[in-house]
Amino acid sequence: MDLIYYVACSVILFFIGIYCLIAKRNMIRLLMGLEIMMNAANLNFIAFSSQVAEGAVHPLAHVFTILSISIGGCVIALGLVITIHAYRHYGTLDVRELRRLRR
Amino acid sequence: MSMQLLGILIVSTLSTPLIGLIGKRMKRERLFVSAFAVLILLCIFLSSITSFIDIMHGDIVLTAFNKPPQPERPNIRADLLSAYMAVIYLGICLLVLLFSARIVVRSRVTAYFSVILGMVTSMVGVVFSEDFFTLFVFWESMCICSYALVSFNKEREEPIEAGYKYLIMSSAGAITILFALSFLYGLTGTLNFQYISKSLSQARGDLIVHLAVLMLLVGFGLQAGMVPFHTWLPDALCAAPSAVSAFLSACAEKTGLYCLLKVFFVIFGSLYEDWRIPIAIFAVLSMFIGNLSALLQDDLKRLFAYSTIANTGYILAGVAVGTSRALAGSLFHILNHAIVVALLFLCVGAFIRQARTRSLREISGIRRTMPWTSLAFIIGALSLATFPAFNIFWSELMIITAGWEAGMAWLSFLMVINLVFSAAYSLRIVQAVAVKGTTYISRRASEVPLSMIIPIFILAVAVVVIGINPGPFQRSTEAIVNSVFQAVLQNT
Repeated sequence: MDLIYYVACSVILFFIGIYCLIAKRNMIRLLMGLEIMMNAANLNFIAFSSQVAEGAVHPLAHVFTILSISIGGCVIALGLVITIHAYRHYGTLDVRELRRLRR
Repeated sequence: MSMQLLGILIVSTLSTPLIGLIGKRMKRERLFVSAFAVLILLCIFLSSITSFIDIMHGDIVLTAFNKPPQPERPNIRADLLSAYMAVIYLGICLLVLLFSARIVVRSRVTAYFSVILGMVTSMVGVVFSEDFFTLFVFWESMCICSYALVSFNKEREEPIEAGYKYLIMSSAGAITILFALSFLYGLTGTLNFQYISKSLSQARGDLIVHLAVLMLLVGFGLQAGMVPFHTWLPDALCAAPSAVSAFLSACAEKTGLYCLLKVFFVIFGSLYEDWRIPIAIFAVLSMFIGNLSALLQDDLKRLFAYSTIANTGYILAGVAVGTSRALAGSLFHILNHAIVVALLFLCVGAFIRQARTRSLREISGIRRTMPWTSLAFIIGALSLATFPAFNIFWSELMIITAGWEAGMAWLSFLMVINLVFSAAYSLRIVQAVAVKGTTYISRRASEVPLSMIIPIFILAVAVVVIGINPGPFQRSTEAIVNSVFQAVLQNT
């Protein structure tokens, strides 16, 4: 029955991440929002893995979580690379300044 | 048999670092690196065609490990639909590589070819995977490659901005998929498609399952350019190099649509009835917003990006109708639109290279200086305008008549209205290129080199051939639908 707390925690984390994506203006903070959402999903996997198999943890979720953490690292690394280039071009980290495409 | 399937994936996976290695050793030999990449891809393409024919004639399913599927084990498997999608991806990628061999800057040719090969590998991996584990890993690697490709010209501002926007939106979509997967895993204890489908076959009223389906629809629809989540698409396609735009709009979006088909007709077949109307609404929104925004554009790449959104709407309309004929129409439209949009973006790439502009007003009358490219471009634009005797006409006809037969006449009617809009902007392009007088810019242009003309012409010939002789293609898509989606279609 403890499962519900973990799931509730991960859902709240997910919505905190979405809020961060919607409300924040700093490019690096947006990437942190993505990271929070990813951690919410991973937490969910780990929480469910204790329940799926009786008396033991289910290995599938752990393998998947480790892979998804590494994939998330790749995405964030690429995002930071793009952020550095954007800073070179625009001289700011504010996403509101990135609107030369909107015509 | 199974070696062939694994061979496609292993060779294409190995080719990515191999290109990097060769490129590092031979910095001066741009031609050699690109020829090597094209050659590898040609081999994989031919091998995928033979496996498609094998599956088609033997009516079999290829699996990688020749063992019965188990709930815990990731697996690789190709049915007719996966082989069909893989053939489309590899064929388009081959032509895109041929086209871009002359365009890419010399110092970065290695990076370009290795990333684009990595992307096509992961797309093939997505369609060959049989469980969400494999699918998600390949999906994310596809997305990472496409972010890198969109912001490839890092010296300019536009690609960086578009790449950042694409990265944030698309990763948010991918994480939404991951979150949905965690709930599916919690409910069923497995990520294998067949096992999920089996254990959720009675779950029609379950709220969490419906939420998970909604999250999957949002995540995959975002990559497919479905309308409330489409805003990254025009920017990304506009800012990327033209060959990359062709590849993204012809293949990466179709991967999203493939995953939606898989979700609604293989995994959640029992829930499909509840989701028909929401999909139809998304389809209609995509059509209208895509077409109406395309009417206003002067920038050619942005125009085709919006028309891509509209075509996603047409394909989703076929998914919403959901009879076997409509699904065959959707699959046929995936092929046709991939060919046409790749042709149009490659032609725009040729115009940009020769005339240094992508504004419709400035390239008007360019047929006098670039006759061959313009001929192919006009063929593509006429096909986009649903001109009879070109390929898109037949697939749209299939979707519309299927909607009429299935009792969703309103959807067919809205789609016909949209065809008028798309005809309007496509004919405006044809008029500008072929009829109007030249401008200062289009007079200075000259014809592109042969290596760029060849891929454009192959695509144009494909448009005409499918348009004149659609029968075999329609029959094969119907065979795909009958073999892959049979279980669901009998239930509904």
